Amino acid sequence: MPTDTKRVRGPDVSQSPFLFWSRPAEVLPSHEPRADGRQRDQVDVRPVFVRCGLVSQAKGSAYIEAGNTKVLCCVYGPRETERKDETDMKSGRLTTDMRFAPFSCPERGSWIQGSQDKDFSLMLQESLQPAVCLHRYPRSQIEVNVMVLENSGSILAHAVTCASMALADAGIEMYDLVLGCSLRQDGGSYVVDPTYPEENSWRSGSREKRGGLTVAFLPSLNQVSGLQSDGEMAEETLTAGIRTCIEGCYKLYPVIQQALIKAVRRAAPPAAES
Amino acid sequence: MMEVSPSTVSFREFGCEQTLLSRPDGSASFVQGDTSVMAGVYGPAEVKVSKEIYDRATLEVLVHPKVGLPGVRERSQEQCVRETCEASLLLSLHPRSSLTLILQVLHDDGSLLSCCLNAACMALMDAGLSMSCLFCGVTCAISTDGEIITDPTAAQEKESRALMTFAIDSKERRVMMSSTKGSFSVHELQQCITVSQKASEKIFQFYRDSVRRRYSKNL
Amino acid sequence: MAAGFKTAEPLEYHRSFLKENCRPDGRELSEFRTTTLNIGSISTADGSALVKMGNTTIICGIKAELANPTAEAPGKGYIVPNVDLPPLCSSRFRPGPPGEQAQAASQFIADVIESSEVIKTEDLCIDRGKLCWVLYCDIMCLDYDGNILDACIIALLAALKNTQLAEVVVNKETSVPEVDLEKRQRLHIHKHPVGASFCVFDDSILIVDPTAEEESLSTAHLTVVTDEEDRLCSVHKPGGTPLSGEKLQECINRATTRQREIHKLIDKVLDSVKTSQ
Repeated sequence: MPTDTKRVRGPDVSQSPFLFWSRPAEVLPSHEPRADGRQRDQVDVRPVFVRCGLVSQAKGSAYIEAGNTKVLCCVYGPRETERKDETDMKSGRLTTDMRFAPFSCPERGSWIQGSQDKDFSLMLQESLQPAVCLHRYPRSQIEVNVMVLENSGSILAHAVTCASMALADAGIEMYDLVLGCSLRQDGGSYVVDPTYPEENSWRSGSREKRGGLTVAFLPSLNQVSGLQSDGEMAEETLTAGIRTCIEGCYKLYPVIQQALIKAVRRAAPPAAES
Repeated sequence: MMEVSPSTVSFREFGCEQTLLSRPDGSASFVQGDTSVMAGVYGPAEVKVSKEIYDRATLEVLVHPKVGLPGVRERSQEQCVRETCEASLLLSLHPRSSLTLILQVLHDDGSLLSCCLNAACMALMDAGLSMSCLFCGVTCAISTDGEIITDPTAAQEKESRALMTFAIDSKERRVMMSSTKGSFSVHELQQCITVSQKASEKIFQFYRDSVRRRYSKNL
Repeated sequence: MAAGFKTAEPLEYHRSFLKENCRPDGRELSEFRTTTLNIGSISTADGSALVKMGNTTIICGIKAELANPTAEAPGKGYIVPNVDLPPLCSSRFRPGPPGEQAQAASQFIADVIESSEVIKTEDLCIDRGKLCWVLYCDIMCLDYDGNILDACIIALLAALKNTQLAEVVVNKETSVPEVDLEKRQRLHIHKHPVGASFCVFDDSILIVDPTAEEESLSTAHLTVVTDEEDRLCSVHKPGGTPLSGEKLQECINRATTRQREIHKLIDKVLDSVKTSQ
């Protein structure tokens, strides 16, 4: 492996103390109530805290916090495309970069972007692109940077929501907001907006009919812009899952709208009525 | 003001040679005892569009260690040397052009950063670039019994409690650059600055001598 | 009108303020921006802190891992600080590996840790020559509006004070470490280094805690790091226009008062975190 000369280097190998924890990791039961008190088999999303316009240097920014999941997104642009050979005369380019802070997961991540981050970046881009009026920005690029500060599950879904808010905050013309919601199917039952332990519990046992699903949804157009699923699910469960996720998105919608209205009010206070 | 006895300002043997490389526009090697650095300057030349500055030249400094690839430490040294050179060079005379200074460490036996600065200054002079002032680097080490050692060797550096490197300008003998290691009191800092200012006279005299020697040969 | 003047002649714009001994954001020359601190907000990290100085936002997360000590220093652990300036924090940074500024900042933070002895690497030793802790201190800028070095040191110090290490017992027979994550201990913080950064305008005017714009217009930067015993841990001036001894003394005096203020702030926030738990 080539050594990283651009960072302060530590020892060649180090191990997470979790590996030596004598207590066995508990297997999450699939029928009892969830660890955080939410209901199974119901559209029970975590309450979210959202705020726009936190980063002074960015054109638009948004922060979302759902449970312990913390995501920050900044939007820069539209500006001239960096690589001239990729300049598109007719429409703009949307670039996305999603990164996890090294301390965001229970096990320390590397600074170097892994394949997982790149996959997420691509999925994020594909989910956002249909909502952005890119033809309004010829020859320019719009950069979406997402930083995951703490990963406590449903990361892609919240990143999509956060990114679309940041785009709206930046004043980029859009057809609609994009909201994300995740679901994890576990045999006959499912959990909406799963946490990190819920997402990773399937590793301990290998039962069938387990899978994850993330839906990116345009609420006012009632269209799905992104769909990502893994694991094994029957056709009916999958369609039912998508419906559940869409329901979850609608629960999120008013909160996001309120946050955006608040940000606009702050940026341009309504004229005092005379 | 405290008195600085001349005995505290002692240097290892200096050595310098200019124009020893044929390819660069200016070059110099500087030797302080066993520490030796070679410097080459290219420019003013064409600049990459992404690095172009509309009203002055872009200066790039690269420090190559004796073995291995440059790492984070070298990057920090590069920053120190670059910003010192930027302050003394009249960069606005060469807008939209590039200057590249390459420092190759030949041997490190302490006081490396100051040797780099000295080599850089000699090379810039050799390249004939206009400067508002000259600068020199002085390293001071404070030993465990509180003694100030100028131009320490690697062994002395290791034993020292604190280590400071300053770049001093030739006009008013003020501090252009400062980089320190270890903890020390305010008084010790002021003392070290005074010592370095004293020491800088010797180095500037050496600059003058070596340039004079060189041109007397050429003419 | 003022906005146009600011964009067209930024240097003149700033000079017109400095002439009146104030700055465009209403601060005096020796006034820091409001500093706020949030400690322990990241639950996946062993210690974390978020610092806001005006708009500048820095987050530091500390992760502890187990490793073998080096043969040269069998009784010492590792501290690995890294500063990252992602493209997220400002449009001036490009994606990819860290640039010169980020690398120089990482080296600076590493030097401050070593010089100040904020924590001793000996404290991180678990079993001499066999096992020790590695503290990965990952510092990330979320909003770049100047003076990141000061903010990085505060974030690092607060995060270190928040860090709790799990109890580790090395099994005598199998020599396999046994970790108890429920029993945790705080790190021993020996010193409290705090930095104060300055900018030199037009070779003579000193301003404290510069914003990104002030930084880019100034002719020299200076960072002074002091601890609670008024010892200097670092006087870092990477080049720029020369500075006289008196000016330097002024900066050191300002830095010592700043150290008191920040030390108090960190203790206050830590207390409130402890009582709320």
